[in-house]
Amino acid sequence: MARIIIDPITRLEGHGRIDIFLDEQGKVENSYFQIPELRGFEQFCMGRMAEEMPVITNRICGVCPEAHHLAATKALDALFGAEPTAVAKKLREILYMAFFVTDHTTHFYALGGPDFIVGPDAPASERNILGVVRKVGVEIAGDIIACRKRNQGIIAFLGGKSVHPVAGVPGGWSRVITAEERVQIEDTARKNIDFARFSLSLFEKLVMNNPLYRELITSDLYLHRTYSMGTVDGATQANFYDGMIRVVDPEGGEFALYPPAEYREHIAERVEAWSYLKYPYLKKVGWRGFTDGIDSGVYCATPLSRLNVSEGLATPLAQAEYERLYESFGCRKVTAHRYAPIHHRLATHWARLIELLYASERMLELAQDREITSPETRTIPERALFVGEGIGSVEAPRGTLTHHYKTDERGVLTMVNMIVGTTNNYAPISMSIKRAAEKLITCGAPDEAILNRVEMAFRLYDPCLSCATHFLPGKMPLTVSIRDSQGALLREMGRNR
Amino acid sequence: MTKATVIIGMGNPLLSDDGVGSVVARAVAQRLTRRTNLSVIELHTGGIRLMEAMVGFQRALVVDAMVSGAPPGTVHRFDPRSFVTTKNTFSSHDTDFATACTLGRMAGLALPEQVAFWGIEGREFELFGERLSDEVAAAVPGCVALMVGQIGAWEGMV
Repeated sequence: MARIIIDPITRLEGHGRIDIFLDEQGKVENSYFQIPELRGFEQFCMGRMAEEMPVITNRICGVCPEAHHLAATKALDALFGAEPTAVAKKLREILYMAFFVTDHTTHFYALGGPDFIVGPDAPASERNILGVVRKVGVEIAGDIIACRKRNQGIIAFLGGKSVHPVAGVPGGWSRVITAEERVQIEDTARKNIDFARFSLSLFEKLVMNNPLYRELITSDLYLHRTYSMGTVDGATQANFYDGMIRVVDPEGGEFALYPPAEYREHIAERVEAWSYLKYPYLKKVGWRGFTDGIDSGVYCATPLSRLNVSEGLATPLAQAEYERLYESFGCRKVTAHRYAPIHHRLATHWARLIELLYASERMLELAQDREITSPETRTIPERALFVGEGIGSVEAPRGTLTHHYKTDERGVLTMVNMIVGTTNNYAPISMSIKRAAEKLITCGAPDEAILNRVEMAFRLYDPCLSCATHFLPGKMPLTVSIRDSQGALLREMGRNR
Repeated sequence: MTKATVIIGMGNPLLSDDGVGSVVARAVAQRLTRRTNLSVIELHTGGIRLMEAMVGFQRALVVDAMVSGAPPGTVHRFDPRSFVTTKNTFSSHDTDFATACTLGRMAGLALPEQVAFWGIEGREFELFGERLSDEVAAAVPGCVALMVGQIGAWEGMV
């Protein structure tokens, strides 16, 4: 095999990149997934007041500012020793559900769905959101836009600003809502439920009822038996805003259940010489390389993982869909309420839609609570309770997000650490790409349909490169290169091209 | 009443030269403070969100950082018809700006009739910081003048 050289141009161009190396027989020898690393974030934060973090970190990523805003605010609750009021927690969670609905909807219709609704072998020019609209009907364009609009409206008034929320403060929330706004949230949640149900019915009709797609999803092409991670509430059911971190092993046994503040006892990071990325793994299992199974510390934190660790879902319609998903995969029950994990990674798309329904129903539950219009949205921090260190965590759409800060006695930052959602999945993403490539590329340079199926292994995670992505005009932020045994470039393609 | 013109500054203001779009947009707004028919939006991501930000306006001016290989500080002007993507106008989580606009029209949204883009070539995009590179900072007044001029040309005033 040709020696692997990490081209410094990767770093300059800054886009994500997958290199697939073939052997002399034209089979896959190895593959590498790379994204650039941004520098200087910790230095940027040092010396600032800790309470600036919710508005600084929500600028890290334009895709999930809400997730960073809430993880940062929760880290501040702990740092200032100020337990938020019940009303504040509910308002935060409502904002977060509106964000989840927007994000999951957009992913399904614009990114994940086209591979199935339009087809994995369709030309790239048709395999996009417009292709979905042509297939499903023009009304869906309006429905998607309306869904985004009504939820962005909630985020704007609840978060205090249209794109990057500012309402999170240590011990609470700086925005009080009116009775009219509560009604608007309730109305939005009801519409979200209808839209989520419609989206699930579409998935069933166009994807699961299509034998070819069902076979693709249930084949071993996109299969990895790793540990699963997610946040669970007091009833050990999935919650996106708050709870304990639960990890289950590949067979479905509970491996760990811990408060997010103990993340360092459970998660370590592997450094590989060929990559800027750090690969998190389960410390108590250990790193055994890019491999799956119960002896490998590789874990996954995705919509599917969150369902895998959950004792069912707390809302009725989502619960029914959850059961349908696991029954459809023939999973046996491992507890009274939970099934053995699904490891077919393309099922993540289905899981994401079930989460969309759960988030919609949860939003309705919270909106029907009259207490949310109470002005009791803040616990004022007290000097005597100041801790000087705080860890905050939420489930971002793309995985568990953890913020960790330390300050001096004045509240000036001295340490900042983060594990962002996508980071959890670096090793699984690398493994999924490699497996799909190995199975699909068997005799030299593949055609576009094959390469798209390799990319589908990547796309199902919806990795967030946007905060770490720069690209040349006209180029997409992901390049896939196929090289022969001498290292010569056989094919190169950009994402969605 | 709907404001007629929107200025959209794109990029991350905490990521060195990626913040130039925000800097320019704020400066244009400052030059035109007495105008009441002008809105300024700072936006981090493109694609559908950029299209949504323009809804209801008659005219839109977008300014963003760029990496095309030209010397840092070079100001590029684009027409949406011959549009090459600038740094943040595409969203890796949904789609490019042109596709987003087609989607918006399918959904019956009122999109501006006049749209113009400016891209300012940057140097540093991987370092957190609020400082622009010298060449990029030096390009800001020129870009502001071009955009103010464009608004004047469109509206026949200023």
